[in-house]
Amino acid sequence: MTDSNQYMRLQLGDTSFLLPSSSGFTIEQRENLITNKSPEGNVAAWRVVQNTRLPAYCLDASLRATRQHLWHRAVFLDTVPQAVGLAVDEVQLLPRAETTISPFTPLGIPPTRLGHLFSGAWVTGHRAMLVFDPKALAAYLQSLGEE
Amino acid sequence: MKSPRVGPRLHSLEVPLDGLTLIVPSAAVAEVINSLTLTPVPFSQPWLKGVFGWRTLAVPVISFEALVGMPEPVSPATGKIVIFYPLSGRSDWEFYGMFATAEPRPQALSHSEPVATDSELPDLPCIAAGLKVGGKLMLIPDMDEMKKMFYPD
Repeated sequence: MTDSNQYMRLQLGDTSFLLPSSSGFTIEQRENLITNKSPEGNVAAWRVVQNTRLPAYCLDASLRATRQHLWHRAVFLDTVPQAVGLAVDEVQLLPRAETTISPFTPLGIPPTRLGHLFSGAWVTGHRAMLVFDPKALAAYLQSLGEE
Repeated sequence: MKSPRVGPRLHSLEVPLDGLTLIVPSAAVAEVINSLTLTPVPFSQPWLKGVFGWRTLAVPVISFEALVGMPEPVSPATGKIVIFYPLSGRSDWEFYGMFATAEPRPQALSHSEPVATDSELPDLPCIAAGLKVGGKLMLIPDMDEMKKMFYPD
């Protein structure tokens, strides 16, 4: 059981981002997914739920879609109209007491129709690890196409 | 003997950038620190160079040169980061940083400095006015225009 103050660390390439556990998600092992064998398109794999294919995308550290193959799990965000997945190199649920999140709004025009991709940051010394806004992340993943 | 009239002085900071110099009220600046490694913010504007931790806050850092469409310094990592207090009307945690090419220098303005004419000002956005301090053109940033670019909603 997680609570709203818990965060998951998602490793994408050489960078980590945090995702609030309150956003609602399901973690699937790679072997439970159908890998996209075509070199075309942005989808890395699909999770099949009741005859519906839910796409998962692999992103690099700059959040560009990539088709690298080193990921082990996919985190599916509970969102409408259907869940959408993010393939990650590593996922770790951080202890509640370990993370204190500072509010953070990126400056400039938001890149998604639901706003900025980040809504906070975990600050440790001069280091800042960005916290995804789950709805904006889902909107961005859904914009990457179904194939 | 009549002593020279001394009016209130405005304590300011001269902020050296690459190719221009800004002048800002000292009261607008929270701290100046050495440049450091920033966390990139994916899909951000080209002028937002990243974010770093400062006093438990996440502070975004901009390149003013990039903001106004000028070429950026080759190596901002050798300069300073000027940390500004939040812009008016923004939340008290919304500090922001700006790269400077060197340590900002204090300037006490006496209100007698000549104001730059339009023809002396560069044709750039986010410039409210200019002053000639000791014969050097110093530009006053337009904080309202910056705020519109920072927070377009």
